[in-house]
Amino acid sequence: MASRDRLAVSLLLLAVLVVRASSASAQALERRGVPVSSSVESAPPPSDRLELVARGETYLQLFRRALLPGQNGALIESQEAAPLHQYIGLDARDIDTPWRKDSVDLELSAWGRAWPGRSEKEPDFDGDVQTASLRYHQGPFWVRFGRQQATGGAARYARFDGIMLGAEQALGWSATGYAGFTVLPRWDQRPGYHHLGNAADSLLRDPQAQPTRSGNWVSGGRLGYGTTALSASASVHEERDASLLSHRSLGLDGRAALGDRATAGGSALVELDARRLANARLWLDSTPHPALDVSAEFFRVEPALLLSRQSVLSVFSTANYDELGGSATWRALRELRLEGNGYLELYDGSRPGARGEVAARLLVDQKQQTLLRVAYARVLAPDNGYHSVRLSLSRRLQPRLTSTLEAYGYFYDRPIAGYVTSSVYAGTLSYQALDALNVMFGGSLAHTPYAAFDAEALLRVSYALDGAPRRTSW
Amino acid sequence: MTRARPWASSALLLCALLVALVAACAKKQGPARFPHQLHLVGLHCEEKGKPACLSCNSCHAPSQRGRAGKLPQQALCESCHKSDAREVLPVLSVVPARPNGDIAFNHDQHLSMQGIEGQCVKCHQGVLRENQSPLPPMSQCFTCHEHEQQWQRAECTPCHAQRDLARTLPQTFLRHDQAFARHHGAAAALQQNLCQSCHTQSQCQSCHDASQDLSVELRRPERLESNQVHRGDFLTRHAIEAKSEPARCASCHTPQSCDACHVARGVSGNIENGRNPHPPGWVGSNVNASNFHGREARRDILACASCHDQGPATNCIRCHKVSAYGGNPHPAGWKSTRSVASEMCRYCHG
Repeated sequence: MASRDRLAVSLLLLAVLVVRASSASAQALERRGVPVSSSVESAPPPSDRLELVARGETYLQLFRRALLPGQNGALIESQEAAPLHQYIGLDARDIDTPWRKDSVDLELSAWGRAWPGRSEKEPDFDGDVQTASLRYHQGPFWVRFGRQQATGGAARYARFDGIMLGAEQALGWSATGYAGFTVLPRWDQRPGYHHLGNAADSLLRDPQAQPTRSGNWVSGGRLGYGTTALSASASVHEERDASLLSHRSLGLDGRAALGDRATAGGSALVELDARRLANARLWLDSTPHPALDVSAEFFRVEPALLLSRQSVLSVFSTANYDELGGSATWRALRELRLEGNGYLELYDGSRPGARGEVAARLLVDQKQQTLLRVAYARVLAPDNGYHSVRLSLSRRLQPRLTSTLEAYGYFYDRPIAGYVTSSVYAGTLSYQALDALNVMFGGSLAHTPYAAFDAEALLRVSYALDGAPRRTSW
Repeated sequence: MTRARPWASSALLLCALLVALVAACAKKQGPARFPHQLHLVGLHCEEKGKPACLSCNSCHAPSQRGRAGKLPQQALCESCHKSDAREVLPVLSVVPARPNGDIAFNHDQHLSMQGIEGQCVKCHQGVLRENQSPLPPMSQCFTCHEHEQQWQRAECTPCHAQRDLARTLPQTFLRHDQAFARHHGAAAALQQNLCQSCHTQSQCQSCHDASQDLSVELRRPERLESNQVHRGDFLTRHAIEAKSEPARCASCHTPQSCDACHVARGVSGNIENGRNPHPPGWVGSNVNASNFHGREARRDILACASCHDQGPATNCIRCHKVSAYGGNPHPAGWKSTRSVASEMCRYCHG
């Protein structure tokens, strides 16, 4: 039997048996005298579960100016126009269909930009659809069409226009499969781009050719099992770039609760074409005391395997780097929380690196919700490193008026463009004009190796088109 | 073209069969759940010779403290189930799972509220649906109580008792703390539906979608406690961050997007009259010259790819190919599973 036929047979078999399991449960209920579906006469009908979240955000960048040092004090008016950015989002869950209640979910998000006269090479208007999907679910099965993403496991993070099918079994088993055309990166080739080298050296590929979507597609699937105490999944993902293999990966993920106070987990990504481990992560989260969270982690990655298998560079290196470290959060008092994390990085063929941060978060005034956070971080990388200090303050000035202030300072181990420090000061003022309308003004001043003086200002108007107060981040 | 891998589909077939076998053999253990629907709306009652109709209060006493006080006693069931008590009473041992422990909740106060007016089913809708828990989900609480800030800060008290939080999901893998942020991708893979009970895919893309015109840090400057990597003076330190954790950038960006940004700002070699960013001695003009680019490339190939992965004309194989003078570029112990006739190998070996 051909491999494609075997795959189809296995998926069909899985579908049939999941249906059988759910059907058997219904029959068992009926045998016990419990009507599986009957009209509710005396009790009030349950309210419709329809949930609709529709919101928009409009951004107006008001001002930006930079003065580059080292260029005879020349004033570089980098972006002084006022670009307008618009975001919209719609999330509707449990929409009824004529044949089934609460069976359809809909999600849409998109952005647009108007920036007249920014550049002769770029359009005045631009935009993109980030997500546009429709999900139908019935019993243990669901199917989603449209622009969507597959996350985690072998897929890592893949966006595509296509279809995803899934089934969940009451005991915790689940299966998903997907296929579609890859959503190509937008910014990979800007106007004015010139390839390095001589195009005639491109033996088999025209470097100026625009990619065609028909040759860029992804497919994959996942089998998983999950309960509150234990979960594991295996996934496969294949990505084609101009009809040639870009990635063919196997992902393994697992997690187990170790008693009431700890959870351990791990994940691995195997690049099947190279037959090597692209990355692996082991972690342990624990709560030895109700006020203390501690975690430890080990991470190994071979960066070359994150490149496309069609990249010539992917065969030039097998070097790994390992990261070992952890984090801790201590809620010392209701008003005081201390955080810390530290990681050691071990690179092949280079001295080790490290990164870490300690921070204190203090709720100074509970009534005004005045929050103060102080953080110090240290980063040691192969060629350079830095110390950083960050001071943050937020305060509710009025019931509907909130402000934030921040100051960042960076101190580099080696000069960057001749400078060893940079500083940034930022602030925001948010006014909740209505439950469904928020207006925020933000601005920042910076002194960096690339700008002796850089100023930015931004106005944001957020509104809930469904009239409801903002509930979650978007 | 690469060859198909017959063993991959065989492995998938085996996994599918294993899952199917477990699904088919699985049986629910223990007695069935109490048939609320049957007792509330399915009984023939208030007719001559029939028992009185039941309501929630016929069996439950929501004002009582503790779970035992709220649930009916065996004697109450036996007052009707005289002949079949032995068969039906085991259902009393089925207690709805409370993954988050007990919560501080005043039933009397809620039942007297306008809009609820003594109707338990307004919240406990699951009692009428066999496939739902009789306990209301936390989202039911959120239809009236807005707790966005507490949720963001993972402050679950006083509704949830602190002692219960130690064994709840947020305290273990759902708590959105600094450790969770590092491995949330694996959690999303394992518990996709759980994540989607609160989050949408658009929310994932607010951070991961590098095709947006504004970064998430610029869109959300007021979120002081979110440790987004691009905050502060990221422009100056981005090269350090990329050297420190090369794989982290690749979670959102393609290597080509580095150069796209550099091109737009005129600091790339991929523009007309672009300057060479490499230090002296990077590539030697003869075999005796200082020539350390290979060592650096082995260690951080993603950095090379950010400029030189735009096709074969842009990278090392102009020198490093069979019959050219650059020598064999493959690292020691290099093995390949693909045929030299594959398109990528033919750049050098064709």
